Amino acid sequence: MSRYYTETEVIAMVEELTRPRLRRYCRARIVQPVTTPDGPGFREADLARLQLLCDLADCHNLPEDGLRMVMSLIDQLNTARGDMRALMQAVAAEPDEVRIRIHRSIRGRRG
Amino acid sequence: MAGDPYADLGLTRSASEAEIKKAYRKIAKTDHPDLNPDPAATQRFKAASAAYDLLKDPEQRRRFDAGEIDEQGHERPQRRYYRDHAEAAGNPYAQNYGFEGDPDLSDVFSDLFGRRAAGGFGQGFRQEGGREFHMRGQDYRFALEVDFMTAARGGKTRISLPEGGDLEVTIPRGVRDGQTIRLKGKGGAGMGQGGPGDAYLTVSVAPHPDFRREGDDIFLTLPITLDEAVLGAKVAAPTVDGPVNLTIPRGATTGQKLRLRGRGINGGDQQVELKIVMPPKVDGDLAKFMEGWRKSHGYDPRRGMTI
Repeated sequence: MSRYYTETEVIAMVEELTRPRLRRYCRARIVQPVTTPDGPGFREADLARLQLLCDLADCHNLPEDGLRMVMSLIDQLNTARGDMRALMQAVAAEPDEVRIRIHRSIRGRRG
Repeated sequence: MAGDPYADLGLTRSASEAEIKKAYRKIAKTDHPDLNPDPAATQRFKAASAAYDLLKDPEQRRRFDAGEIDEQGHERPQRRYYRDHAEAAGNPYAQNYGFEGDPDLSDVFSDLFGRRAAGGFGQGFRQEGGREFHMRGQDYRFALEVDFMTAARGGKTRISLPEGGDLEVTIPRGVRDGQTIRLKGKGGAGMGQGGPGDAYLTVSVAPHPDFRREGDDIFLTLPITLDEAVLGAKVAAPTVDGPVNLTIPRGATTGQKLRLRGRGINGGDQQVELKIVMPPKVDGDLAKFMEGWRKSHGYDPRRGMTI
């Protein structure tokens, strides 16, 4: 189901994106497209990431170094958030006695 | 070289214990201030004896090599890592990270972690120890199998709850395989002032013998007769919302695709793939006609195939 977009398609779809800019982000490995026989293939996630990169770079005047660091932090945060979501969903579906134990334990550490 | 005790002795890091001793003694012999009045010699001697003091003890030497102490034997100041503070409870810079406003998990989150004031850590939770215990109820998770048509059109079904009783569930039109339906407040009862949990139904959509679905589009293979294919026809084609008239073009063939716009789910299309079906029996009339026909109208649909 998942399709890949070509460089040209990506540049057409993300407004502020230019070819040199896209190439720079790829070279710096801030965006990592998959390798296909027809050149780099960009996923939906890459498109969204490129949009965010353009927004961050333009709105906050971020140079590439800063951009790379900010993206790394955003990636870490979102990964942690995804893990956290799964964990909370699992905890919320546990029976009362288990949840009470977890609840007390967490409050003991974080409260 | 300042800061490098090995260099002060004219050595490198790989020097053995004996070499260190020997190097020190050599400098002491020539540069001892009591023997050599040259101020430069005094400097060399001071540096060498400081270096020797540090390196003659194997444990101190190891610690210097590992960067734990500096060339004067002082403990290096510990580097501070913000993470140690940032992860700790009560970090004054702690921030929300997206669950407070989450429609599904905000209650679960505040139940476990308390509420954080915007932009910083709030009071957290003070009450503990069994008295005044509040906790949100358990979330229930169920698997719900829905038939193809109910999923496509929407509808109602009933599920039975673990604590007895049953519950009417509204299936939204176009629900997808694997989608979760949330029934707010239909989970287990809360404790204290905690609200009830939610019920989550993970939907699996059963396949249909004729319809196939991709997102909001519906796919159907429609059998047509030989004469309909040859002459064209108007036939009734089933859709998820009932039969719809479909025009078969003259000369239609198997595999040809026709699109019924907007006849899928929630604005999607239905794609009809035609399939010519022979009559149950080829009778004399048909056979006789075909025999005559092929003499003057033969054609080769396999031309160009590599056999």
